[in-house]
Amino acid sequence: MAKVQVNNVVVLDNPSPFYNPFQFEITFECIEDLSEDLEWKIIYVGSAESEEYDQVLDSVLVGPVPAGRHMFVFQADAPNPGLIPDADAVGVTVVLITCTYRGQEFIRVGYYVNNEYTEIELRENPPVKPDFSKLQRNILASNPRVTRFHINWEDNTEKLEDAESSNPNLQSLLSTDALPSASKGWSTSENSLNVMLESHMDCM
Amino acid sequence: MIALRWHVGECQRFVEEQPFDAILANKTGWGCVLGAPLESGKPIFSVDIHPDGTKFATGGQGQDSGKVVIWNMSPVLQEDDEKDENIPKMLCQMDNHLACVNCVRWSNSGMYLASGGDDKLIMVWKRATYIGPSTVFGSSGKLANVEQWRCVSILRSHSGDVMDVAWSPHDAWLASCSVDNTVVIWNAVKFPEILATLRGHSGLVKGLTWDPVGKYIASQADDRSLKVWRTLDWQLETSITKPFDECGGTTHVLRLSWSPDGHYLVSAHAMNNSGPTAQIIEREGWKTNMDFVGHRKAVTVVKFNPKIFKKKQKNGSSAKPSCPYCCCAVGSKDRSLSVWLTCLKRPLVVIHELFDKSIMDISWTLNGLGILVCSMDGSVAFLDFSQDELGDPLSEEEKSHIHQSTYGKSLAIMTEAQLSTAVIENPEMLKYQRRQQQQQLDQKSAVARETGSAASVAGVVNGESLEDIRKNLLKKQVETRTADGRRRITPLCIAQLDTGDFSTAFFNSIPLSGSLAGSMLSSHSSPQLLPLDASTPNSFGTSKPSTEPAAAAGTRPAGNSVNKDSVNATSAPAASSPSVLTTPSKIEPMKAFDSRFTERSKATPGAPVLTSVTPTAVERLKEQNLVKELRPRDLLESSSDSDEKVPVAKSSSLSKRKLELEVETVEKKKKGRPRKDSRLMPMSLSVQSPAALTAEKDTVCLSVPAPTLKLPMPGPQRAFTLQVSSDPSMYIEVENEVTAVGGVKLSRLKCNREGKEWETVLTSRILTAAGSCDVVCVACEKRMLSVFSTCGRRLLPPILLSSPISTLHCTGSYVMALTAAATLSVWDVHRQVVVVKEESLHSILAGSDMTVSQILLTQHGIPVMNLSDGKAYCFNPSLSTWNLVSDKQDSLAQCADFRSSLPPQDAMLCSGPLAIVQGRASTSGRQAARLFSVPHVVQQETTLAYLENQVAAALTLQSSHEYRHWLLLYARYLVNEGSTEEGATEGTAASHRAEPPLPASLHRMSGTARHPKGQVACPHLPQLQPGQGHLSPRRAIVGQGDTGRRWSVAAPVEGGSSAGNSSLSPGPPRRAGAGAPPCCPGIREAHRDRPSSARSRGGH
Repeated sequence: MAKVQVNNVVVLDNPSPFYNPFQFEITFECIEDLSEDLEWKIIYVGSAESEEYDQVLDSVLVGPVPAGRHMFVFQADAPNPGLIPDADAVGVTVVLITCTYRGQEFIRVGYYVNNEYTEIELRENPPVKPDFSKLQRNILASNPRVTRFHINWEDNTEKLEDAESSNPNLQSLLSTDALPSASKGWSTSENSLNVMLESHMDCM
Repeated sequence: MIALRWHVGECQRFVEEQPFDAILANKTGWGCVLGAPLESGKPIFSVDIHPDGTKFATGGQGQDSGKVVIWNMSPVLQEDDEKDENIPKMLCQMDNHLACVNCVRWSNSGMYLASGGDDKLIMVWKRATYIGPSTVFGSSGKLANVEQWRCVSILRSHSGDVMDVAWSPHDAWLASCSVDNTVVIWNAVKFPEILATLRGHSGLVKGLTWDPVGKYIASQADDRSLKVWRTLDWQLETSITKPFDECGGTTHVLRLSWSPDGHYLVSAHAMNNSGPTAQIIEREGWKTNMDFVGHRKAVTVVKFNPKIFKKKQKNGSSAKPSCPYCCCAVGSKDRSLSVWLTCLKRPLVVIHELFDKSIMDISWTLNGLGILVCSMDGSVAFLDFSQDELGDPLSEEEKSHIHQSTYGKSLAIMTEAQLSTAVIENPEMLKYQRRQQQQQLDQKSAVARETGSAASVAGVVNGESLEDIRKNLLKKQVETRTADGRRRITPLCIAQLDTGDFSTAFFNSIPLSGSLAGSMLSSHSSPQLLPLDASTPNSFGTSKPSTEPAAAAGTRPAGNSVNKDSVNATSAPAASSPSVLTTPSKIEPMKAFDSRFTERSKATPGAPVLTSVTPTAVERLKEQNLVKELRPRDLLESSSDSDEKVPVAKSSSLSKRKLELEVETVEKKKKGRPRKDSRLMPMSLSVQSPAALTAEKDTVCLSVPAPTLKLPMPGPQRAFTLQVSSDPSMYIEVENEVTAVGGVKLSRLKCNREGKEWETVLTSRILTAAGSCDVVCVACEKRMLSVFSTCGRRLLPPILLSSPISTLHCTGSYVMALTAAATLSVWDVHRQVVVVKEESLHSILAGSDMTVSQILLTQHGIPVMNLSDGKAYCFNPSLSTWNLVSDKQDSLAQCADFRSSLPPQDAMLCSGPLAIVQGRASTSGRQAARLFSVPHVVQQETTLAYLENQVAAALTLQSSHEYRHWLLLYARYLVNEGSTEEGATEGTAASHRAEPPLPASLHRMSGTARHPKGQVACPHLPQLQPGQGHLSPRRAIVGQGDTGRRWSVAAPVEGGSSAGNSSLSPGPPRRAGAGAPPCCPGIREAHRDRPSSARSRGGH
């Protein structure tokens, strides 16, 4: 069973200008002392079309993690605009927070991000070359998409053979290559995403 | 009868009214209201109603994991509640199981929920009270977990799907069964300790049930057998196969059930004349003459109503006593449910096609009038009976009366309330009481912990609210760079979990950020310490002082009765005078300080105050100490010729005095006479004396408290009974001052052994009694100790003890008396020799506030004292020394890691006096290795030293079984750790023979291992034959010395069948008529037979 459960993620400094760093306050609970650190990553999906534009904004080790409930703030710099295709600069994209233990990803939290100009003029007539300094980033904090993966939490020395025999395909499943890429997985639901986003923006 | 059924996810609720014409009511079922979380149609494999009847749990298949859900019961019972949107239906859901959950069971106390699943795990859940409702992060946001249930233990042992779990009566054990063909008995007080693994089934074990009296556990498996196991020794009592011979095909579960009166065991799937039945097995002789017939397909689940019923008395009819009967529900693969009364030949009711798929589990409400039934089709049905239909349920007293009249008194059949006041009659009761006390302690510490963490979660920590902390978290959190330049954040711990996991202690020194650090650390470490150091529960400011005196007072009577059984269960108070004295006094300063300081300056109570005050107190301590030193001595002298309860009286007089003083001050205050001098005087006195006591303990050098040693004495009771053993059943009954002959009051001692009774009278009141299979002894007033044979013959004229008795204990023909003056004597009354003569406990108790927490007399007459500081000493009669045989805080024990050398099958099953005093080995060694990154060499050394200690301790205790265990372990360790020299080979081989000088020789051998030059060849050992061995294969080959021969070692346990084993088998407790002292027969014999061979071989 998962030794770490994410209780909550609070998006701080939201909405904010594009160049502001991302800040997530993450609360998680650990049922047993962990012998190794957790590794958290923030991945910014530059374009829904391709993984190629994914940017790992930062990765950070968190530890030591004794049993208990813990919190920390994960801050990472804004994405490099140079790596974002012009066509995708404005509009909806995704930011992912992932956590791995011993190199195995066990949770992935995704947020929709809407980048738009604050000035009405720009909004109506967006420049061909996006002006990132005037973009506002709005993370749809109320609607995280959480995917959990079962991983082997045990010390490999102890129960390796056990884990292997029980889940022969687990290892392959867990290797990052085999994970469906975020953008691919999400692009299929883009329509519903937009609908949902709009409705949500209304109530905001 | 009304049956309701919710089809989860399908918006349907069926209401079926008796008789069976189903009325389909298309209402909005709450399964639908709940919507998404329950995957519609996903099978529900198990249902269980909480003992308090307010909630129930279901277990089954979730989205891509197993799922346990806890539901509110009231919407099931009342339609109004169901419609009320404010009443939550689902209380908590846990999807932590990796695969389908096959069974959920509440503990009898309702505190825990155990779940077992296809992921081979059993999880034990406990409600976390300090965290309010929360959502499962990311799960659509609407569904709040109203209650938080947290996994406190994960039990790993099974190598296949766990099919059923069951709590024993009174939650002493948890049993689980699995498709790996085994049943595992877990120590429910100390998870994840395994007490036994029951092997014998040759097929998937699919159901478990405990005997309500706690004597047996029954399991049913796919191998067409039902097996009954004894809880006494975890051996097979009987295996029943006949009714299952015809069984073909498999059912998912085979949930059998034991009737609440204990008379009948009813199996699941059995066959009779090619028809599916539920076989009734009588406890008496395990006869299989009756069965429940009628279902068309295999019976999957049988569940007895927890109540015993009697016929409803009709007005006017003569109140003729009708025989009580039981009620049983049977569910089957044919989707129907039948309910039977054992007084009727036909079922009370049959409900056909209640579900679309097989019935998987049934649970009765505690009042016996309702049942929940769950099915593979993913729905749960509730059936409601009326008392007219079932009869009048017997009260718990009546039920336990039935049990007692049938089975005699035993632990399982007593209710909680009775137990707390009951006289300890057998070891289980004693264990129970000890457990209760432990629980109380744990609870207390949990309260402390929770209050601590609650404050940090919800309230204010160091003047900072959680909000404030969050605001500044980014600035305050500790961020470092690792060696390779990566960012590393130390998370802020905002709440401790109440897991009670030992290993958390290792993390006490986590760096914490900012101003939080101090407060967090204190709340962090203090609860951790509480269970470890029970004798100082109140030195932390967090726990409430007011609860402590009450608890101390509460345990004292218990302590008295416990003393009678000679194993002192209380860990902190009551065991010896220092604690009796200091427990109240330790509390007093708090109280006193609190009231005083709040009076004056409203300072914060607790620890800081204490530190600020002690300097002043210490000043006066020295003079005070003189006074104090005198006082106990006086008391001791006065007590030696009177039989009064000195320590109790003393402590109460002390506290009384304090009370008086306090009252005085209060009165004076009230009267409003601010005469400063007189007001300060009593104050300082009342503060001082306790402070002096506390401080004295801290500064050990100040005085020698030896003369103050004073153990508690049992007070005279009017009557009590004592169960000596359950098999053969033997009781001692004592009635004091029962007959007056010419003004002389006599006390009666009665002993019942397997129905044969004898009795005798004594002239003075009996304070305590003890017995074994050989002797019965009683300690009376006037320091008299009388010893009888079990047939009632007086073996000796009364023995005059040097001081009043504190604890009396018998094992075999050995009698142990611990007097109030802390001297210990052991006699062998059959051979009429003294084993231990008035040995003082001063040497082991002196100089600290330790108490004796457990006393043990081995079957070879070796007394063992377990002290509250975790140390255990045994008295070595031949050397007249106290030997330290166990130390819980021993750093060796904590660093030693010999897991790899444990034979897998009998992992920790070695039992004996050493295991009792040491408890089970923990995994701390490995923890230490992991946490402190102990170099392997160091760990190896510590492990060797530890094992050496263990071998020596087992030898001193003359526990042949354990000696063998540890010696073999030692040898295995040497082999495994690459001590692949011939010396190690010899060690293992020689251990088969178990000559006494072995530890020494082994010691040398371990030396040999480290210095390979001193190899010793031993080609003549008969156990060593090339190629024979099958010790853990990867390291089986040892010793490729100069001879070039390859040696294999027969695995110790398997190898036990060789000749060497016979000399080491533990042997009968006492060999009747043997001239030799009955100590460790095997070892002695070996010693005689081959006095010097080992030595000659071992030397190099």
